[in-house]
Amino acid sequence: MSDRKSKALEQDQKDWEEECLGPSLASKPERKDRFVTDIGLETARVYTPLDLEQIGFDYGENVGFPGAYPFTRGITPTMYRAEPWVIRAYSGFGDPVTCNERYKRLVECGADEIVMAIDLPTQVGYDSDHLMARGEVGKVGVAIDTLRDMEILFEGIPLNKLKRVSMLGNSFSPIALSLFIALGEKQGLSPSDFVVDLQNDILKEYIARGTYIFPIRPSVRVTADTIGYCAKHARHWYPSTLCANHINAAGAGSTKAAAFALSNGLCYMRHLLERGYAIDEIAPLFSMFLDERADFFVAICHCRAMRRVWAKVMKERMGARDPASMTLKITAYSHGRETMLEPENNIVRITLAALAYVLGGVQFLYNASYDEVLGTPKGEAAKIAVRTQQILAYEMGITHTVDPLGGSYFIETLTSQIEKQILQEIDKVEGMGGAIAAIENGYYLSAITEGAIRRQREFDRGERVAVGVTKFRTETQMPSGAFRIDPAMEQKQVERLVQVRKERNGEKVRKTLEEVREVAQGEGNLVPPVLEAVRAYASIGEICDVLRQVYGEYQAKEYISPAGHKG
Amino acid sequence: MKRKRRVLIGKVGLDGHEVGARVVAKALADAGMEVIYTGLRQTPEMIARTAIEEGVDLIGISILSGSHMTLLPEILKILNRYKADDIPLIAGGIIPADDIPVLKQLGVKEIFPPDTPTAEIVDVVEKLIASR
Repeated sequence: MSDRKSKALEQDQKDWEEECLGPSLASKPERKDRFVTDIGLETARVYTPLDLEQIGFDYGENVGFPGAYPFTRGITPTMYRAEPWVIRAYSGFGDPVTCNERYKRLVECGADEIVMAIDLPTQVGYDSDHLMARGEVGKVGVAIDTLRDMEILFEGIPLNKLKRVSMLGNSFSPIALSLFIALGEKQGLSPSDFVVDLQNDILKEYIARGTYIFPIRPSVRVTADTIGYCAKHARHWYPSTLCANHINAAGAGSTKAAAFALSNGLCYMRHLLERGYAIDEIAPLFSMFLDERADFFVAICHCRAMRRVWAKVMKERMGARDPASMTLKITAYSHGRETMLEPENNIVRITLAALAYVLGGVQFLYNASYDEVLGTPKGEAAKIAVRTQQILAYEMGITHTVDPLGGSYFIETLTSQIEKQILQEIDKVEGMGGAIAAIENGYYLSAITEGAIRRQREFDRGERVAVGVTKFRTETQMPSGAFRIDPAMEQKQVERLVQVRKERNGEKVRKTLEEVREVAQGEGNLVPPVLEAVRAYASIGEICDVLRQVYGEYQAKEYISPAGHKG
Repeated sequence: MKRKRRVLIGKVGLDGHEVGARVVAKALADAGMEVIYTGLRQTPEMIARTAIEEGVDLIGISILSGSHMTLLPEILKILNRYKADDIPLIAGGIIPADDIPVLKQLGVKEIFPPDTPTAEIVDVVEKLIASR
């Protein structure tokens, strides 16, 4: 804008404030003194070109075109016009037999990707017959002990019929990866025929999610081995998804969460660089799991800002040359505001969250089921989660233009503000010495705890509205009739494991486990020996036990409240 | 001088979600109680033993993993075995409405769903301790 035009606009604004706004506020004041987002930014009454001028906005430099640096508007030139995002279905409960039925129905109604929810014993490397697994088998996900369970789980679902197939596998990713490779073999497929996607981001487990097994440093090596293996053998796979989601949910706020997640990613990358990989060999294999659930527009701008941050960090700080290294693939999960009372309203909340991520230009999306807050989703609810995405993708023209909100005074201002917050936080963590230092010195955890307490305070003061719960409440009774996992399932799963142990070649299992131990003690990549053990039907628990013997187990420091009596 | 009220906040089983536990621990501490937080991956045995060793006035368990019907009754059983079943046990987290009467019947004193104001939790804790 020319200086003359901007002066004129400033004058116009002054006049408007005096003649129009002033009288309006006098007769009808606004609902609140300040409208503040969860990330602490105040939202202005109205945004104009003057806001863009104030932040030194430059379209070419800050935004540009989709598919071109800095990728603010999207990572491809055509985005959803060519193909909508990958519609993921996150599901898993009980044993592989029951769960297989659910997967088949989800694929039938058009889910592009199955994301296996696995139970907690599996996530922390205990077999279903372990003492710590009691009462937990098949509860928050499906129980997986050996390759046999995977064969049953994907019976009738060829992996190449899906756009991707996924498992969390944060603490034992070489096993998760091997289970998919070996399952592919059983289905007559080679890795080039299908696409595997893993969460495999262990560092956030020490601060937000808790499914760690080994101490931090060996865990980084285990994580990096999986990424390194894919860099050489399956470059079209997604071996690591850097998760801001859990860190935000735990309390950090979305900008800190994204900064921490990227810092965690830099830790894995640097580890791999030290082991001789080149940045352009590994960076394109990463994606990020972003999250913002408190504010619709922040969620949109968060995705736009993070693409810019990623592009800059990879190019300017990590020395990437390949544009593929600079394009951030984003996963998101539409959830976070669901209520137990009147759970049907959650369909609306989830839809709005999904819409924000779509407007933000994500590549992979999954919706919560509206009844998830009550326990394992029912089949019908899981189907609605897929249908909601299909409606967004194919009805009402939402996907017809790239980055439809780009250029809005509000959206561009907010995107720049968020970018600034994220970059500042990355610098802070880098200044401490990176992600591991920020875990060990307690910085991550204190940021999370402070945020969680602030959110609770706002909730207690009635500032966080949940319609039907904190406002306009009519119901007093929590809904009943939650989906039940058959209690006999745990025993059945244990029996299946015992059967596999009886039928497999015990000598071969012992030999492959010894090879896992040898490589774990040395410098090599863990995936090849783990793959051999998985092929021989060694269980997840058995392989993890070998690694526990080599690496030890992580012991979390006990947290005592400030008023507590001992440390 | 009267001894400070002491509360144990614990995570039982493999559930790794600890925001709720930390927020409740802070609220109770702000209300003047001593709070011992166990950290993750405690067995029912470890919870009961820590509670007894630390001489707490109440145990609060956060559980979101769906294993409450196994693990909460187990804590009660162990407390009973150690003749410490006068320590009230409360819980919070994702616990389906149908399970609440069953758990209360077994001896869990109160169960808080998500979205419970912390003031309400503090109030119930104070009353339970006062009535011991």
